[in-house]
Amino acid sequence: MLSRLRSAFRFQESGLLLVIFALGALLTLFSGTVRTPVFATAPDGSRERVFMTNAAGERLPAVAERNKFLNAQNFAQLAKDTSFIAIMAVGMSLVIISGGIDLSVGAIYALASVLGAIALNHFGPDGPGASTSPWIGVMLGTLTCVGIATLCGLVNGSLIVALRVHPFIITLGTMAILRGIAFVVTKGQSIGGFPPAFREIVRFEVGNGLSLVPLAVMIIVTIAGGLYLARLAAGRRVYAIGGNELASRFSGIRVERVKLGVYLLSGFTAGIAALLSLGYYGAATSGDGQGYELNVIAAAVVGGASLTGGKGTALGAVLGALVIQMISSGIIILGIDQNYSQIIIGTVVIAAVVLDNFNTWLARRRLTQRAT
Amino acid sequence: MIKRLLPSLAALALLAVVGRAAEPRSLTIGLVAKSQGNPVFQAARVGAQDAAKELGAKYHLNIKIDWRTPNEEDAQKQAEAIEQLVLAGADGISVSCSDANKLTDAINSAVKNGVPVATFDSDAPASLRFVTYGVDDIECGKQVMLELAKIMDGKGVVAILAGNQNAPNLQKRVAGVKEEAAKYPGIAIRDTYFHKETPQDAAAKVEQVMQANPEITGWAMIGGWPLFTENALKWQPGTVKCVAVDALPAQLAYIRSGHVPVLLAQQCYEWGHRTVELLVDKIVFKKDPPAVKEISALIPVTKDNVDAFGKNWAKWLPK
Repeated sequence: MLSRLRSAFRFQESGLLLVIFALGALLTLFSGTVRTPVFATAPDGSRERVFMTNAAGERLPAVAERNKFLNAQNFAQLAKDTSFIAIMAVGMSLVIISGGIDLSVGAIYALASVLGAIALNHFGPDGPGASTSPWIGVMLGTLTCVGIATLCGLVNGSLIVALRVHPFIITLGTMAILRGIAFVVTKGQSIGGFPPAFREIVRFEVGNGLSLVPLAVMIIVTIAGGLYLARLAAGRRVYAIGGNELASRFSGIRVERVKLGVYLLSGFTAGIAALLSLGYYGAATSGDGQGYELNVIAAAVVGGASLTGGKGTALGAVLGALVIQMISSGIIILGIDQNYSQIIIGTVVIAAVVLDNFNTWLARRRLTQRAT
Repeated sequence: MIKRLLPSLAALALLAVVGRAAEPRSLTIGLVAKSQGNPVFQAARVGAQDAAKELGAKYHLNIKIDWRTPNEEDAQKQAEAIEQLVLAGADGISVSCSDANKLTDAINSAVKNGVPVATFDSDAPASLRFVTYGVDDIECGKQVMLELAKIMDGKGVVAILAGNQNAPNLQKRVAGVKEEAAKYPGIAIRDTYFHKETPQDAAAKVEQVMQANPEITGWAMIGGWPLFTENALKWQPGTVKCVAVDALPAQLAYIRSGHVPVLLAQQCYEWGHRTVELLVDKIVFKKDPPAVKEISALIPVTKDNVDAFGKNWAKWLPK
């Protein structure tokens, strides 16, 4: 069973998992405890604080003491915070494996967010389409958000293929263009006021107020990305052109089509992340996702994607995002001065790449030794 | 034997209880500003830390300020910081909102979890925050234009320097400038110029605009961004008039050189100091402020008071 899983996801992320468990253990040990209020579900389904009466007859809110890191709320929060970057990192890992780069994901995220927000606002409580069925609004908003992002990805891919210009330049250009469009469309205003049904879906809570929808979507995207790369011929072609584009071309792979596909999928994942963000945070502005491209690339690289192409996995990208988010959250949980977070995260990114190179070198050496 | 030890054990237990009672109560207050790099928020941080020390000594409290501010403006990161602070056990949170819509849920969730939230500088009016502290942004814009109109004798061409186009507080200030300018028939607004909120980007924007529009005779700067660099205003003092919000140390040089006759100082140190005071009142003494909106006045800084005002920065900036 494990060997099947391993082959299905190219289970080379054991090192990353080890890092995650080690980080988790450290945070559990050193985070200390926190007293948090106790909630119960009221008859109408809402969450209410639980109160207790002490010996003096005072009514006080009940509190529970728990480990700051090792608790369900923190894990749900960690998963939610990771999900936006992780979902985009799955798309980005496809691009990086193919030997390309997509600097426009943050801008795609922003444009998809604001256009999706405009559509959703139209059907929101104060919008002109308020009387329409909320599900139509949710569907149109979803289609707009994900559709626009996918279209942006397609435009990126088409320009890269048609103009034969390095993706760095093309996506640098589209990054500015798309963010500009987002600003022109919104005039810098924040757009909220979505149909409550939409927000209820994304913020749906289970148990003690746990929002698990972002986590569920992240898992689905990871599995889909993993299966695409490991199981489908189209995914193997991505590795092939990233490993050696010329050889792939000579072996009959339609390189242009593969490239078009990876940028389209990168846009698509940015759209999914934008949609989740809309539902969770309930608003969008043209400034959204500023600088996210670097976080997304960092997650993919920490997750084992090689910037020279031909290497990387969907699961690795998600775990890379999780490592970065765990460090970022851990800094808050441990009460470390936030000014050190950049230094720590930067160091981890470099260390991950160095370790990865070392690992590759060891593997090659082992292979050479076996051959001789 | 046990009987002989009993009084000593009782005394030890009493000492432990007394010792525990004498331990100061610990409070953690999260401070979430808009961006790390902006000195006005560093002043707010110092203000919060000073308030923590002063109130800690006064009320026998151990107050920790937990600074959780994104490097660059990012409302989503701010919302995440608020959620993480609640999970990490913060007792109260003070926040300057980059996007009110996006932060409303996070603020409401914190309040529902028993963590009171105060906002400063930029509010989230639809949220459950118990107080907001800062300037009235419309009035701020009006005051900038009023001061500018005075020194321009009510005539000329004015450009508005407006920073981040997404910031709701800046949008209100721009609206205030335009509203006030409409009162002066001799004043024409050339345009509103947005830019990335870094001193270099702002200074470059002023230069570009002046080259393209040499007829501009006045600048209404609703933030002081370009004046954080040296030599940002490449004209002879007095030829183009300028009024800017904030009065950071670097900006004061422009008052002394005569390039900027009036700076309108926001009380950014007080953003941190006052909101910590309000939060301690709320958390420890269960005391609500008299009004949800607490307006802080703008302090005009001119050649007459620039030196006296400048001395404050020795206290307000991080050591």
